[in-house]
Amino acid sequence: MQLRYVFTELRTGLRRNLSMHLAVILTLFVSLSLAGIGILVQREATVARDSLGDELKILVNLCTDDDPSHSPNCASGEVTADQQQRIEKEIQDNDEVRSFAYQSKEEGFEKAKETLPESSYTGPDPIVTAEGWPAAYWVTLKTPERADGIISALEGLDGVSGIKDQRKALGQIFGIMTVLKYGSWIGAGFLLFAALLQVTNTIRLAALARRREIAIMRLVGASTLYIALPFLLESLVAAIVGVALAAGVLAAFQYWGVEQALSDHVSFLPWVDWTDYTQALFGLFPPGIVLLGPALTLIPTLLLTRKYVKV
Amino acid sequence: MIRFEKVTKRYPGPGRPALDQVTLDIDKGEFVYLVGTSGSGKSTALRLVLREVRPTTGRVHVAGKEINRMAGWKVPRLRREIGTVFQDFRLLPNKTVAENVAFAQQVIGKSRREIAKVVPETLELVGLKDKGDRMPDELSGGEQQRVAIARAFVNRPMILIADEPTGNLDPATSVGIMNLLGDINETGTTVVMATHDHGIVDQFTKRVIELDHGKVVRDEASGSYGFQH
Repeated sequence: MQLRYVFTELRTGLRRNLSMHLAVILTLFVSLSLAGIGILVQREATVARDSLGDELKILVNLCTDDDPSHSPNCASGEVTADQQQRIEKEIQDNDEVRSFAYQSKEEGFEKAKETLPESSYTGPDPIVTAEGWPAAYWVTLKTPERADGIISALEGLDGVSGIKDQRKALGQIFGIMTVLKYGSWIGAGFLLFAALLQVTNTIRLAALARRREIAIMRLVGASTLYIALPFLLESLVAAIVGVALAAGVLAAFQYWGVEQALSDHVSFLPWVDWTDYTQALFGLFPPGIVLLGPALTLIPTLLLTRKYVKV
Repeated sequence: MIRFEKVTKRYPGPGRPALDQVTLDIDKGEFVYLVGTSGSGKSTALRLVLREVRPTTGRVHVAGKEINRMAGWKVPRLRREIGTVFQDFRLLPNKTVAENVAFAQQVIGKSRREIAKVVPETLELVGLKDKGDRMPDELSGGEQQRVAIARAFVNRPMILIADEPTGNLDPATSVGIMNLLGDINETGTTVVMATHDHGIVDQFTKRVIELDHGKVVRDEASGSYGFQH
Protein backbone atom coordinates (compact mmCIF):
# COMPACT_ATOMS: atom_id res chain seq x y z
CA MET A 1 0.00 0.00 0.00
CA GLN A 2 1.36 3.39 -0.96
CA LEU A 3 1.19 5.40 2.22
CA ARG A 4 2.59 8.46 0.49
CA TYR A 5 -0.68 8.83 -1.40
CA VAL A 6 -2.71 8.31 1.77
CA PHE A 7 -0.79 11.02 3.62
CA THR A 8 -0.99 13.43 0.68
CA GLU A 9 -4.75 12.88 0.63
CA LEU A 10 -4.87 13.35 4.39
CA ARG A 11 -3.07 16.69 4.12
CA THR A 12 -5.32 17.83 1.29
CA GLY A 13 -8.43 16.68 3.14
CA LEU A 14 -7.48 18.47 6.34
CA ARG A 15 -6.75 21.69 4.43
CA ARG A 16 -9.86 21.49 2.29
CA ASN A 17 -12.20 20.94 5.22
CA LEU A 18 -10.30 23.04 7.73
CA SER A 19 -13.28 24.94 9.17
CA MET A 20 -15.30 21.74 9.61
CA HIS A 21 -12.36 19.99 11.27
CA LEU A 22 -11.86 22.95 13.60
CA ALA A 23 -15.53 22.79 14.56
CA VAL A 24 -15.21 19.06 15.30
CA ILE A 25 -12.03 19.61 17.31
CA LEU A 26 -13.52 22.43 19.39
CA THR A 27 -16.72 20.54 20.13
CA LEU A 28 -14.77 17.41 20.99
CA PHE A 29 -12.41 19.43 23.16
CA VAL A 30 -15.20 21.03 25.23
CA SER A 31 -17.28 17.85 25.48
CA LEU A 32 -14.34 15.65 26.44
CA SER A 33 -13.22 18.21 29.03
CA LEU A 34 -16.69 18.09 30.57
CA ALA A 35 -16.75 14.30 30.43
CA GLY A 36 -13.31 14.22 32.07
CA ILE A 37 -14.43 16.58 34.83
CA GLY A 38 -17.45 14.32 35.36
CA ILE A 39 -15.10 11.36 35.77
CA LEU A 40 -12.88 13.29 38.19
CA VAL A 41 -15.91 14.29 40.29
CA GLN A 42 -17.01 10.67 40.36
CA ARG A 43 -13.52 9.66 41.46
CA GLU A 44 -13.61 12.40 44.09
CA ALA A 45 -16.85 10.97 45.47
CA THR A 46 -15.20 7.53 45.67
CA VAL A 47 -12.10 8.92 47.37
CA ALA A 48 -14.22 10.84 49.87
CA ARG A 49 -16.42 7.82 50.59
CA ASP A 50 -13.41 5.58 51.11
CA SER A 51 -12.01 7.98 53.64
CA LEU A 52 -15.08 9.32 55.38
CA GLY A 53 -17.67 6.66 54.82
CA ASP A 54 -20.70 7.26 52.71
CA GLU A 55 -23.87 9.07 53.58
CA LEU A 56 -25.55 5.89 54.84
CA LYS A 57 -23.08 5.51 57.68
CA ILE A 58 -23.02 6.84 61.22
CA LEU A 59 -19.90 6.87 63.35
CA VAL A 60 -20.20 5.78 67.00
CA ASN A 61 -17.17 7.05 68.91
CA LEU A 62 -16.25 5.19 72.08
CA CYS A 63 -14.97 6.90 75.20
CA THR A 64 -11.26 7.51 75.68
CA ASP A 65 -9.42 7.86 78.94
CA ASP A 66 -9.69 11.62 79.07
CA ASP A 67 -12.60 12.07 76.73
CA PRO A 68 -12.85 15.59 75.29
CA SER A 69 -16.64 15.33 75.00
CA HIS A 70 -17.04 15.27 78.78
CA SER A 71 -20.11 13.18 78.18
CA PRO A 72 -21.68 11.57 81.29
CA ASN A 73 -21.40 8.27 79.38
CA CYS A 74 -17.64 8.56 79.75
CA ALA A 75 -17.64 9.12 83.53
CA SER A 76 -15.79 5.85 84.03
CA GLY A 77 -13.04 6.85 81.58
CA GLU A 78 -11.89 4.53 78.79
CA VAL A 79 -14.66 2.28 77.48
CA THR A 80 -14.60 -1.09 79.22
CA ALA A 81 -14.92 -4.48 77.57
CA ASP A 82 -18.39 -4.92 79.13
CA GLN A 83 -19.58 -1.56 77.90
CA GLN A 84 -18.24 -2.28 74.44
CA GLN A 85 -20.00 -5.65 74.38
CA ARG A 86 -23.33 -4.00 75.25
CA ILE A 87 -22.83 -1.33 72.61
CA GLU A 88 -21.99 -3.94 69.99
CA LYS A 89 -25.01 -6.05 70.91
CA GLU A 90 -27.27 -3.00 70.67
CA ILE A 91 -25.98 -2.30 67.19
CA GLN A 92 -26.22 -5.93 66.16
CA ASP A 93 -29.85 -6.27 67.29
CA ASN A 94 -31.11 -3.04 65.76
CA ASP A 95 -33.22 -3.60 62.63
CA GLU A 96 -32.21 -0.24 61.07
CA VAL A 97 -28.64 -1.52 60.76
CA ARG A 98 -27.42 -3.23 57.62
CA SER A 99 -23.86 -3.88 58.81
CA PHE A 100 -21.21 -2.48 61.12
CA ALA A 101 -17.45 -2.51 61.51
CA TYR A 102 -15.17 -1.87 64.44
CA GLN A 103 -12.38 0.66 63.96
CA SER A 104 -9.53 0.53 66.46
CA LYS A 105 -7.79 3.60 67.85
CA GLU A 106 -4.81 2.99 65.58
CA GLU A 107 -6.93 2.52 62.45
CA GLY A 108 -8.89 5.68 63.21
CA PHE A 109 -5.72 7.63 63.86
CA GLU A 110 -4.10 6.46 60.60
CA LYS A 111 -7.17 7.47 58.64
CA ALA A 112 -7.32 10.86 60.37
CA LYS A 113 -3.71 11.56 59.48
CA GLU A 114 -4.73 11.76 55.79
CA THR A 115 -6.70 14.93 56.35
CA LEU A 116 -5.08 16.47 59.46
CA PRO A 117 -2.19 18.95 59.15
CA GLU A 118 1.09 17.16 59.75
CA SER A 119 2.06 19.45 62.64
CA SER A 120 -0.90 18.20 64.67
CA TYR A 121 0.42 14.64 65.04
CA THR A 122 4.22 15.09 64.78
CA GLY A 123 6.78 16.71 67.02
CA PRO A 124 7.61 16.19 70.70
CA ASP A 125 4.18 17.06 72.05
CA PRO A 126 1.57 16.30 69.37
CA ILE A 127 -2.05 17.41 69.83
CA VAL A 128 -3.37 14.23 68.26
CA THR A 129 -2.10 10.77 69.24
CA ALA A 130 -3.24 7.24 68.59
CA GLU A 131 -3.84 6.77 72.29
CA GLY A 132 -6.10 9.79 72.50
CA TRP A 133 -8.02 8.89 69.36
CA PRO A 134 -11.34 7.17 70.01
CA ALA A 135 -12.07 3.62 68.90
CA ALA A 136 -15.33 3.57 66.99
CA TYR A 137 -18.05 1.61 65.21
CA TRP A 138 -18.96 2.43 61.61
CA VAL A 139 -22.62 1.59 61.32
CA THR A 140 -24.15 1.23 57.85
CA LEU A 141 -27.89 1.85 57.76
CA LYS A 142 -30.46 0.12 55.62
CA THR A 143 -31.95 3.45 54.55
CA PRO A 144 -30.45 6.88 55.20
CA GLU A 145 -33.84 8.29 56.27
CA ARG A 146 -34.17 5.87 59.20
CA ALA A 147 -31.45 6.42 61.78
CA ASP A 148 -33.30 7.93 64.73
CA GLY A 149 -33.90 4.56 66.42
CA ILE A 150 -30.28 3.51 66.48
CA ILE A 151 -29.06 6.97 67.44
CA SER A 152 -31.42 7.25 70.41
CA ALA A 153 -30.65 3.66 71.48
CA LEU A 154 -26.92 4.29 71.51
CA GLU A 155 -26.52 7.85 72.70
CA GLY A 156 -27.46 7.02 76.30
CA LEU A 157 -25.21 3.98 76.60
CA ASP A 158 -22.16 4.07 78.85
CA GLY A 159 -18.95 4.05 76.88
CA VAL A 160 -20.43 6.01 73.92
CA SER A 161 -18.66 9.34 73.70
CA GLY A 162 -20.66 10.65 70.80
CA ILE A 163 -22.38 9.80 67.55
CA LYS A 164 -21.46 11.49 64.31
CA ASP A 165 -24.25 11.38 61.82
CA GLN A 166 -22.40 11.37 58.51
CA ARG A 167 -25.64 11.93 56.65
CA LYS A 168 -25.79 15.58 57.66
CA ALA A 169 -22.23 16.61 56.83
CA LEU A 170 -21.54 14.35 53.89
CA GLY A 171 -25.03 14.20 52.47
CA GLN A 172 -24.71 17.79 51.25
CA ILE A 173 -21.23 17.27 49.81
CA PHE A 174 -22.23 14.09 48.03
CA GLY A 175 -25.37 15.84 46.83
CA ILE A 176 -23.27 18.60 45.26
CA MET A 177 -20.93 16.02 43.74
CA THR A 178 -23.82 14.07 42.26
CA VAL A 179 -25.24 17.24 40.70
CA LEU A 180 -21.79 18.19 39.36
CA LYS A 181 -21.14 14.70 38.00
CA TYR A 182 -24.45 14.30 36.24
CA GLY A 183 -24.45 17.95 35.16
CA SER A 184 -21.09 17.60 33.44
CA TRP A 185 -22.07 14.25 31.94
CA ILE A 186 -25.34 15.59 30.58
CA GLY A 187 -23.51 18.61 29.15
CA ALA A 188 -20.83 16.33 27.74
CA GLY A 189 -23.53 14.04 26.30
CA PHE A 190 -25.20 16.88 24.36
CA LEU A 191 -21.90 18.20 23.09
CA LEU A 192 -20.65 14.73 22.15
CA PHE A 193 -23.85 14.25 20.18
CA ALA A 194 -23.13 17.58 18.44
CA ALA A 195 -19.59 16.35 17.74
CA LEU A 196 -21.01 13.15 16.28
CA LEU A 197 -23.25 15.13 13.92
CA GLN A 198 -20.34 17.34 12.92
CA VAL A 199 -18.19 14.31 12.17
CA THR A 200 -20.91 12.87 9.93
CA ASN A 201 -21.29 16.21 8.13
CA THR A 202 -17.54 16.50 7.66
CA ILE A 203 -17.29 13.01 6.21
CA ARG A 204 -20.25 13.67 3.94
CA LEU A 205 -18.60 16.84 2.62
CA ALA A 206 -15.22 15.13 2.27
CA ALA A 207 -16.79 12.25 0.36
CA LEU A 208 -18.57 14.75 -1.90
CA ALA A 209 -15.34 16.65 -2.56
CA ARG A 210 -13.57 13.39 -3.42
CA ARG A 211 -16.37 11.71 -5.34
CA ARG A 212 -14.43 11.68 -8.64
CA GLU A 213 -11.36 10.14 -7.03
CA ILE A 214 -13.48 7.63 -5.12
CA ALA A 215 -15.34 6.59 -8.29
CA ILE A 216 -12.05 6.03 -10.12
CA MET A 217 -10.48 4.23 -7.18
CA ARG A 218 -13.42 1.82 -7.05
CA LEU A 219 -13.22 1.21 -10.78
CA VAL A 220 -9.52 0.46 -10.87
CA GLY A 221 -9.78 -1.91 -7.91
CA ALA A 222 -8.56 0.02 -4.86
CA SER A 223 -9.55 -1.78 -1.68
CA THR A 224 -12.25 -0.33 0.56
CA LEU A 225 -9.71 0.19 3.33
CA TYR A 226 -7.44 2.12 1.00
CA ILE A 227 -10.31 4.36 -0.08
CA ALA A 228 -11.50 4.83 3.50
CA LEU A 229 -8.07 5.38 5.05
CA PRO A 230 -7.77 9.15 4.37
CA PHE A 231 -11.24 9.66 5.93
CA LEU A 232 -10.34 7.58 8.97
CA LEU A 233 -7.04 9.38 9.41
CA GLU A 234 -8.74 12.80 9.13
CA SER A 235 -11.13 11.80 11.91
CA LEU A 236 -8.29 10.39 13.96
CA VAL A 237 -6.29 13.62 13.67
CA ALA A 238 -9.33 15.63 14.81
CA ALA A 239 -9.82 13.20 17.71
CA ILE A 240 -6.16 13.33 18.76
CA VAL A 241 -6.13 17.14 18.80
CA GLY A 242 -9.46 17.26 20.67
CA VAL A 243 -8.26 14.71 23.24
CA ALA A 244 -4.90 16.48 23.70
CA LEU A 245 -6.61 19.82 24.35
CA ALA A 246 -9.07 18.25 26.79
CA ALA A 247 -6.24 16.40 28.56
CA GLY A 248 -4.46 19.75 28.92
CA VAL A 249 -7.52 21.40 30.40
CA LEU A 250 -8.02 18.51 32.83
CA ALA A 251 -4.36 18.65 33.85
CA ALA A 252 -4.71 22.40 34.45
CA PHE A 253 -7.89 21.75 36.46
CA GLN A 254 -6.11 19.09 38.51
CA TYR A 255 -3.04 21.24 39.16
CA TRP A 256 -4.43 24.75 39.68
CA GLY A 257 -7.97 23.82 40.65
CA VAL A 258 -7.53 20.80 42.91
CA GLU A 259 -3.93 20.81 44.12
CA GLN A 260 -3.31 24.54 44.39
CA ALA A 261 -6.77 25.72 45.48
CA LEU A 262 -9.34 23.15 46.66
CA SER A 263 -7.07 20.89 48.70
CA ASP A 264 -5.74 23.94 50.60
CA HIS A 265 -9.10 25.53 51.28
CA VAL A 266 -11.14 22.37 51.90
CA SER A 267 -8.65 20.31 53.82
CA PHE A 268 -11.06 18.00 55.66
CA LEU A 269 -11.70 16.15 52.39
CA PRO A 270 -9.10 14.01 50.62
CA TRP A 271 -8.84 15.08 46.96
CA VAL A 272 -8.34 13.34 43.65
CA ASP A 273 -4.70 13.01 42.60
CA TRP A 274 -2.80 12.32 39.38
CA THR A 275 -3.76 8.62 39.49
CA ASP A 276 -7.38 9.72 39.19
CA TYR A 277 -6.39 12.10 36.38
CA THR A 278 -4.82 9.12 34.55
CA GLN A 279 -8.06 7.22 35.13
CA ALA A 280 -10.06 10.08 33.58
CA LEU A 281 -7.80 9.80 30.53
CA PHE A 282 -7.28 6.08 30.10
CA GLY A 283 -9.98 4.42 32.22
CA LEU A 284 -12.23 1.74 30.78
CA PHE A 285 -15.30 2.23 32.94
CA PRO A 286 -16.43 4.91 32.67
CA PRO A 287 -14.46 5.24 29.42
CA GLY A 288 -11.66 7.79 29.64
CA ILE A 289 -11.39 10.58 27.11
CA VAL A 290 -8.55 8.86 25.25
CA LEU A 291 -11.00 6.07 24.37
CA LEU A 292 -14.05 8.27 24.02
CA GLY A 293 -12.59 10.79 21.56
CA PRO A 294 -11.37 8.39 18.86
CA ALA A 295 -14.41 6.12 19.31
CA LEU A 296 -16.75 9.04 18.71
CA THR A 297 -15.04 10.06 15.52
CA LEU A 298 -13.87 6.72 14.11
CA ILE A 299 -17.08 4.71 14.55
CA PRO A 300 -19.31 7.13 12.58
CA THR A 301 -16.54 7.55 10.01
CA LEU A 302 -16.32 3.79 9.54
CA LEU A 303 -20.08 3.47 9.20
CA LEU A 304 -20.37 6.40 6.79
CA THR A 305 -17.40 5.49 4.63
CA ARG A 306 -18.82 1.99 4.28
CA LYS A 307 -21.84 3.69 2.77
CA TYR A 308 -20.00 6.20 0.57
CA VAL A 309 -17.09 4.12 -0.63
CA LYS A 310 -18.85 0.80 -0.90
CA VAL A 311 -17.28 -1.22 -3.75
CA MET B 1 -13.53 -14.51 -20.62
CA ILE B 2 -17.08 -13.18 -20.01
CA ARG B 3 -20.06 -15.51 -19.79
CA PHE B 4 -23.68 -14.68 -19.00
CA GLU B 5 -25.91 -17.66 -18.21
CA LYS B 6 -29.61 -16.82 -18.37
CA VAL B 7 -28.97 -13.52 -16.66
CA THR B 8 -31.94 -11.44 -15.60
CA LYS B 9 -31.51 -8.11 -13.86
CA ARG B 10 -34.52 -6.42 -12.40
CA TYR B 11 -34.13 -3.06 -10.64
CA PRO B 12 -36.52 -2.14 -7.82
CA GLY B 13 -39.86 -0.78 -8.99
CA PRO B 14 -42.38 -1.85 -11.59
CA GLY B 15 -41.64 -2.46 -15.25
CA ARG B 16 -39.78 -4.97 -17.35
CA PRO B 17 -36.31 -6.20 -16.34
CA ALA B 18 -33.25 -4.35 -17.62
CA LEU B 19 -31.85 -7.68 -18.81
CA ASP B 20 -34.07 -10.66 -19.50
CA GLN B 21 -32.64 -14.20 -19.66
CA VAL B 22 -29.48 -13.09 -21.45
CA THR B 23 -26.97 -15.78 -22.37
CA LEU B 24 -23.75 -14.83 -24.10
CA ASP B 25 -20.12 -15.84 -24.29
CA ILE B 26 -17.16 -13.58 -25.07
CA ASP B 27 -13.80 -15.28 -25.55
CA LYS B 28 -10.36 -14.07 -24.57
CA GLY B 29 -8.96 -11.56 -27.06
CA GLU B 30 -12.30 -10.83 -28.77
CA PHE B 31 -13.48 -7.34 -29.74
CA VAL B 32 -17.23 -7.02 -29.26
CA TYR B 33 -19.63 -4.16 -29.92
CA LEU B 34 -22.67 -4.01 -27.68
CA VAL B 35 -25.35 -2.08 -29.58
CA GLY B 36 -28.94 -1.20 -28.94
CA THR B 37 -31.19 1.77 -28.21
CA SER B 38 -31.07 3.65 -24.92
CA GLY B 39 -32.61 1.47 -22.23
CA SER B 40 -31.87 -1.74 -24.13
CA GLY B 41 -29.69 -3.03 -21.28
CA LYS B 42 -26.14 -2.26 -22.53
CA SER B 43 -25.07 -0.33 -19.44
CA THR B 44 -26.59 -2.92 -17.11
CA ALA B 45 -24.60 -5.64 -18.90
CA LEU B 46 -21.37 -3.65 -18.38
CA ARG B 47 -22.22 -2.95 -14.74
CA LEU B 48 -22.79 -6.66 -14.20
CA VAL B 49 -19.34 -7.44 -15.58
CA LEU B 50 -17.82 -4.88 -13.17
CA ARG B 51 -19.87 -6.36 -10.31
CA GLU B 52 -21.35 -2.92 -9.66
CA VAL B 53 -24.71 -4.71 -9.60
CA ARG B 54 -25.60 -8.37 -9.14
CA PRO B 55 -27.98 -10.33 -11.37
CA THR B 56 -31.45 -11.05 -10.04
CA THR B 57 -31.19 -14.55 -11.47
CA GLY B 58 -28.63 -16.35 -13.60
CA ARG B 59 -24.85 -16.43 -13.42
CA VAL B 60 -22.09 -14.07 -14.56
CA HIS B 61 -18.55 -15.38 -15.07
CA VAL B 62 -15.66 -12.95 -15.56
CA ALA B 63 -12.03 -13.99 -16.04
CA GLY B 64 -12.84 -17.52 -14.96
CA LYS B 65 -14.68 -16.55 -11.78
CA GLU B 66 -18.36 -16.68 -11.03
CA ILE B 67 -18.89 -13.23 -9.64
CA ASN B 68 -22.52 -13.35 -8.44
CA ARG B 69 -21.65 -14.55 -4.99
CA MET B 70 -18.14 -13.14 -4.85
CA ALA B 71 -17.38 -11.71 -1.41
CA GLY B 72 -17.23 -7.89 -1.31
CA TRP B 73 -13.57 -7.82 -0.36
CA LYS B 74 -12.64 -9.79 -3.49
CA VAL B 75 -14.32 -7.33 -5.86
CA PRO B 76 -11.38 -4.85 -5.99
CA ARG B 77 -9.12 -7.69 -7.17
CA LEU B 78 -11.60 -8.56 -9.93
CA ARG B 79 -11.70 -4.93 -11.06
CA ARG B 80 -7.93 -4.87 -11.43
CA GLU B 81 -8.48 -7.29 -14.30
CA ILE B 82 -10.88 -4.87 -15.99
CA GLY B 83 -10.11 -1.44 -17.44
CA THR B 84 -12.99 0.98 -17.95
CA VAL B 85 -13.38 3.92 -20.33
CA PHE B 86 -16.36 6.30 -20.36
CA GLN B 87 -17.89 8.76 -22.78
CA ASP B 88 -17.12 11.68 -20.43
CA PHE B 89 -13.45 10.65 -19.82
CA ARG B 90 -13.70 11.11 -16.01
CA LEU B 91 -10.22 12.52 -15.56
CA LEU B 92 -9.12 14.22 -12.35
CA PRO B 93 -8.88 17.92 -13.28
CA ASN B 94 -6.29 18.79 -10.59
CA LYS B 95 -3.79 16.17 -11.75
CA THR B 96 -1.53 16.16 -14.77
CA VAL B 97 -1.91 13.61 -17.56
CA ALA B 98 0.86 11.44 -16.11
CA GLU B 99 -0.57 11.76 -12.58
CA ASN B 100 -4.00 10.73 -13.84
CA VAL B 101 -2.53 7.59 -15.34
CA ALA B 102 -0.30 6.92 -12.34
CA PHE B 103 -3.30 7.32 -10.02
CA ALA B 104 -4.71 3.97 -11.20
CA GLN B 105 -1.47 2.30 -10.16
CA GLN B 106 -0.90 4.21 -6.92
CA VAL B 107 -4.26 3.30 -5.45
CA ILE B 108 -3.70 -0.41 -5.92
CA GLY B 109 -0.32 -0.20 -4.25
CA LYS B 110 2.14 -0.43 -7.16
CA SER B 111 5.68 0.64 -6.32
CA ARG B 112 7.04 4.03 -7.34
CA ARG B 113 9.66 2.34 -9.49
CA GLU B 114 7.05 0.37 -11.40
CA ILE B 115 4.87 3.46 -11.86
CA ALA B 116 7.87 5.43 -13.16
CA LYS B 117 8.47 2.69 -15.74
CA VAL B 118 4.94 1.81 -16.85
CA VAL B 119 3.29 5.24 -17.02
CA PRO B 120 5.60 6.68 -19.73
CA GLU B 121 5.33 3.42 -21.69
CA THR B 122 1.55 3.59 -21.60
CA LEU B 123 1.49 7.27 -22.54
CA GLU B 124 3.68 6.42 -25.52
CA LEU B 125 1.32 3.61 -26.49
CA VAL B 126 -1.66 6.01 -26.57
CA GLY B 127 0.33 8.66 -28.46
CA LEU B 128 0.75 11.16 -25.62
CA LYS B 129 4.43 10.67 -24.98
CA ASP B 130 5.21 14.39 -24.70
CA LYS B 131 2.04 15.47 -22.91
CA GLY B 132 2.52 13.88 -19.51
CA ASP B 133 2.93 17.24 -17.78
CA ARG B 134 -0.16 18.84 -19.29
CA MET B 135 -3.38 19.34 -17.33
CA PRO B 136 -6.49 17.64 -18.76
CA ASP B 137 -8.18 20.95 -19.65
CA GLU B 138 -5.23 21.79 -21.91
CA LEU B 139 -6.00 18.77 -24.11
CA SER B 140 -8.52 18.16 -26.90
CA GLY B 141 -11.42 15.75 -26.37
CA GLY B 142 -9.66 13.01 -28.31
CA GLU B 143 -6.49 13.46 -26.28
CA GLN B 144 -8.47 13.37 -23.03
CA GLN B 145 -10.04 10.10 -24.12
CA ARG B 146 -6.56 8.77 -24.85
CA VAL B 147 -5.55 9.65 -21.28
CA ALA B 148 -8.62 7.80 -20.02
CA ILE B 149 -7.67 4.78 -22.13
CA ALA B 150 -4.10 4.95 -20.83
CA ARG B 151 -5.46 4.98 -17.27
CA ALA B 152 -7.72 2.00 -18.03
CA PHE B 153 -4.87 0.06 -19.67
CA VAL B 154 -1.96 0.98 -17.41
CA ASN B 155 -2.53 -2.04 -15.16
CA ARG B 156 -2.64 -4.28 -18.26
CA PRO B 157 -6.15 -5.63 -17.59
CA MET B 158 -7.48 -8.77 -19.28
CA ILE B 159 -10.70 -6.97 -20.23
CA LEU B 160 -11.28 -3.39 -21.41
CA ILE B 161 -14.81 -2.08 -21.12
CA ALA B 162 -15.60 1.04 -23.12
CA ASP B 163 -18.97 2.71 -22.61
CA GLU B 164 -19.59 5.00 -25.61
CA PRO B 165 -15.92 5.99 -25.88
CA THR B 166 -16.48 7.97 -29.07
CA GLY B 167 -19.77 9.52 -27.97
CA ASN B 168 -18.26 12.98 -27.39
CA LEU B 169 -15.79 12.95 -30.28
CA ASP B 170 -15.87 14.02 -33.92
CA PRO B 171 -15.65 11.26 -36.55
CA ALA B 172 -11.94 11.81 -37.36
CA THR B 173 -10.95 11.70 -33.69
CA SER B 174 -13.18 8.67 -33.18
CA VAL B 175 -11.22 6.79 -35.81
CA GLY B 176 -8.01 7.49 -33.89
CA ILE B 177 -9.58 6.17 -30.69
CA MET B 178 -10.82 3.05 -32.49
CA ASN B 179 -7.34 2.41 -33.87
CA LEU B 180 -5.99 2.68 -30.33
CA LEU B 181 -8.61 0.27 -28.97
CA GLY B 182 -7.72 -2.05 -31.86
CA ASP B 183 -4.04 -1.89 -30.89
CA ILE B 184 -4.94 -2.74 -27.28
CA ASN B 185 -7.09 -5.64 -28.50
CA GLU B 186 -4.11 -6.95 -30.46
CA THR B 187 -2.14 -7.29 -27.24
CA GLY B 188 -4.66 -9.99 -26.25
CA THR B 189 -6.97 -7.78 -24.19
CA THR B 190 -10.66 -8.52 -24.60
CA VAL B 191 -12.51 -5.33 -25.58
CA VAL B 192 -16.25 -4.84 -24.99
CA MET B 193 -17.54 -1.57 -26.36
CA ALA B 194 -21.08 -0.28 -25.90
CA THR B 195 -21.83 2.22 -28.65
CA HIS B 196 -24.41 4.16 -30.60
CA ASP B 197 -21.86 5.12 -33.26
CA HIS B 198 -23.06 3.23 -36.33
CA GLY B 199 -20.36 4.78 -38.53
CA ILE B 200 -17.67 3.25 -36.34
CA VAL B 201 -19.38 -0.15 -36.09
CA ASP B 202 -19.78 -0.33 -39.82
CA GLN B 203 -16.24 0.88 -40.55
CA PHE B 204 -14.37 -1.27 -38.01
CA THR B 205 -16.14 -4.55 -38.49
CA LYS B 206 -16.15 -6.77 -35.41
CA ARG B 207 -18.54 -9.06 -33.56
CA VAL B 208 -21.84 -7.27 -32.81
CA ILE B 209 -24.25 -8.18 -30.01
CA GLU B 210 -27.52 -6.27 -30.23
CA LEU B 211 -29.73 -5.86 -27.21
CA ASP B 212 -33.37 -4.83 -27.36
CA HIS B 213 -35.62 -4.50 -24.32
CA GLY B 214 -33.13 -6.49 -22.29
CA LYS B 215 -32.85 -9.44 -24.70
CA VAL B 216 -30.12 -10.42 -27.14
CA VAL B 217 -31.77 -10.07 -30.55
CA ARG B 218 -28.65 -10.42 -32.72
CA ASP B 219 -25.17 -11.84 -32.29
CA GLU B 220 -23.08 -11.68 -35.47
CA ALA B 221 -19.40 -12.62 -35.67
CA SER B 222 -18.73 -9.86 -38.18
CA GLY B 223 -21.73 -7.58 -38.06
CA SER B 224 -22.87 -4.08 -38.86
CA TYR B 225 -24.73 -1.56 -36.73
CA GLY B 226 -27.87 -2.82 -38.37
CA PHE B 227 -30.63 -0.56 -37.08
CA GLN B 228 -31.60 3.08 -37.05
CA HIS B 229 -32.15 4.88 -33.78
